[in-house]
Amino acid sequence: MEYFADLSFTFFMLIPVGVIIGIIFGAIPGMTATMAVAVCLPLTYSLNLNQGLALLLGLYVGGISGGLVPAILLNIPGTPSSITTTFDGYPMTQKGEGEKALKIGIVSSLFGGLLSAAILAFFAPLLADFAIKFSYIEKFLIIFLALTVIASLSKNLLAGIFSGVLGVYISLIGTYDISFGGNGDIRLMPEFLEYWLADGFSLLPVLIGLFGLATIMEEAEKGIREEDLSSKMVLGSSIKFSFSVFKGQVINLFRSGIIGTFVGMLPGVGGSAASVLSYTQAKNFSKKPEKMGKGAPEGVIASESANNGLTGGALIPLLSLGIPGDSTTAVLIGAFTLQGIQVGPLFIGENMGTWHTMVLAVVIANFAMFLVMFFAIKYIAKVITVPKYILFPIIIMMCVVGAYAINYGVMFDVWTLLIFGIFGYLAQKIGIEVAPFIIGFILGKSAEIYFVKSLESFGTLTIFFTKSPIAMFLWVLIVVSVGYSIYSTIKNRRQDKFDGHG
Amino acid sequence: MKRIWMSIGLILFALTLLPVSSAMAADKVIDGNLRVVIGSKSTGGDTYQNSAIVADALAKKLDINVKVDAVGASAAFQALDRAGVRGNTIMIFHDQAYLGYLYGKKGYFDIFDKYIVGPTVAINPGNAYLVPKSSPYQTIEDIINACGKGTKVRVAIQPGGVSEIGYTALKNAISLKYPGKEGNLVAVNTGSQSAKNQLLFDGQADLINGSVQANEQYTRLPADDQKAMRFVWLTARSATIQQAPAAGLGQTTRDQLLQFVEPNAKVPFDANSYFTFDKEFYFLFNKGLDPKVIAAIDEALTEIYTEGKIQETQKKSFFIPNFKPSVEAAAYLKGKMEMNKKIISSMQ
Repeated sequence: MEYFADLSFTFFMLIPVGVIIGIIFGAIPGMTATMAVAVCLPLTYSLNLNQGLALLLGLYVGGISGGLVPAILLNIPGTPSSITTTFDGYPMTQKGEGEKALKIGIVSSLFGGLLSAAILAFFAPLLADFAIKFSYIEKFLIIFLALTVIASLSKNLLAGIFSGVLGVYISLIGTYDISFGGNGDIRLMPEFLEYWLADGFSLLPVLIGLFGLATIMEEAEKGIREEDLSSKMVLGSSIKFSFSVFKGQVINLFRSGIIGTFVGMLPGVGGSAASVLSYTQAKNFSKKPEKMGKGAPEGVIASESANNGLTGGALIPLLSLGIPGDSTTAVLIGAFTLQGIQVGPLFIGENMGTWHTMVLAVVIANFAMFLVMFFAIKYIAKVITVPKYILFPIIIMMCVVGAYAINYGVMFDVWTLLIFGIFGYLAQKIGIEVAPFIIGFILGKSAEIYFVKSLESFGTLTIFFTKSPIAMFLWVLIVVSVGYSIYSTIKNRRQDKFDGHG
Repeated sequence: MKRIWMSIGLILFALTLLPVSSAMAADKVIDGNLRVVIGSKSTGGDTYQNSAIVADALAKKLDINVKVDAVGASAAFQALDRAGVRGNTIMIFHDQAYLGYLYGKKGYFDIFDKYIVGPTVAINPGNAYLVPKSSPYQTIEDIINACGKGTKVRVAIQPGGVSEIGYTALKNAISLKYPGKEGNLVAVNTGSQSAKNQLLFDGQADLINGSVQANEQYTRLPADDQKAMRFVWLTARSATIQQAPAAGLGQTTRDQLLQFVEPNAKVPFDANSYFTFDKEFYFLFNKGLDPKVIAAIDEALTEIYTEGKIQETQKKSFFIPNFKPSVEAAAYLKGKMEMNKKIISSMQ
């Protein structure tokens, strides 16, 4: 307890302040936890290290959690890691279960966050040693495993796979960046677009375009009509949230939280892969997989438990190796460098006070997030009752501001938002599936880098199968995941035929 | 309703004050907000850290708002092209700005032709090369000799910049001592520090580029730890390291660090001298920028460095203060670029 003796009232106040600001950032489409931490980083100059970390960790936990609000209520993922929350969260809202879905998401977030904080507190150095067993090859296989979700998420297997591959292709447009070990060449575009597309399409504008703008366009196509959704959104009636919804979901909660923590601790794999992976596993293990994607609470549980599991996970390599686990902890490392503190393999041993303080801050931030969101939710959920002709222009404005701000004021990002909004709107009409497309887009770049770097290092394709027991185990998971998707497709087709005849 | 009217009233009142404040500020050369774009996308790296220190000091000195944006090289150059002429967007970067051009990387130009090179502010003396603790190579000379005797040595670098210049210098040193054998030093192109470290852990690289700041703790791990590393070369000049605090960084003292710089670690540049490389940070301005703005920044920085407080902050963060006003800095950096050009073109 002597480690906490120096903690001030300010320390304890900065955590909820950070959480609230983080939730707001996470909840606004186009703004992310990373952005919240980056914006507030210079403020830590005037604070001491503990206070600075309290604020930033609050922002981190709040930012990751806030993403569930627009994902569930508006079908717009507030952060990339809440994409899978839209799959079941929004259908629940459409069924009038928005408030229930939000509460399920918040409880799952708390669970995932606390589980990862516990893993961080007790196993950080041990797990860091395990994380370095993952070379380019194992990281490629993890991404490949996450990509197999495309098969199980597709409504039509062929169209889904095509959409996923298209997503991968679009993600590769731009420079093969030297900061990833590339050759710095610009590819897959005509020369006249190089000025705008040198860095490729930014993720966030693509995401909010595909999900947000496209949804709004579809609604606009229907025209102003009687608001049937708001009437369904009966707050506090028979569809009231109850903890009994978690009955039978304990394994899902643990599995998703652990997947989130595990993926979070692998530098360079990316947070979105965590929720995608845990969602696939939840679907594969589900007793009623056909209900996933149509408003099943277990989908929200898997996604939210995993993306908050990321928080503790991404701190593991940061504090045990000096290597950030995701984009937000990459910003967080700035708080240490600005204070002149080295993070590396000896950080924990040499800074026990800071270490304990950080674990405490993560735990408090998770509880603060829960309290703030759980009790504010019935007011937040009312956003759905706002008439769409008022709500949608506001959302579009927020999307545009978010897209413009994400890379510190790049106008092309606003055009990206519009391009992918129109693409998302048209895609559904011509059979391109948006979910596989975005998963391909998010994971494509990392898949390419790890694949090419593996070949550069080892010079043979067989190494992907023989590199290590971890690689072999990942192949087993990949085969099971693909096999299961094919089995489900065949089973569903038979069921459809049977229903048709019956 | 009352509150809404009150808010509208307050906003209108604030708007009426605007012309007054802008009139008051009219005599200032740099007015309002100054945006400093940097060539790195990381807020955890040395470019951001150093820029934040300088930006903070400038904000106080000029009584303006200064915001550092970690946008990355190509976006920073674009921002400078687009808005730099107005004087509210300037850039801070390091030697990568001209090394990228010398290595022929897309998106890099001759900065001395396209921009105005401004004052230098600091050196990061930590650019380093490391081997696993269990490596048979004890010194950088061992590596040069091993390559000369036909052993392939793989070195993990990030291509096209500061990380690669040490590799190029090593190749040059091998070719001086063992002509025709420089091909035995093989670059393993990779990206982040974490990726370079990982290659060492996997046994896919024999030598990696790193830094004192990022790798010092790894050098203190016990030899049986898979992660344990050893410094073999710091590219900084001996004179630069001598300006670092005596305590060094972490638990590695300045004297210990001096063991890894010339003349103790020998990487010949030519028959008479050793290769050294200080990673220096400096300003870049749009070519059309009003010279008064550059003069104002020069003047403000001269005052800041004369006061001496910034040097303490920089040294605390393991930077070596290195202020040179614009004209002096541009001439100095141009000479440095020419020297590096020689070595890069001879090795290509």
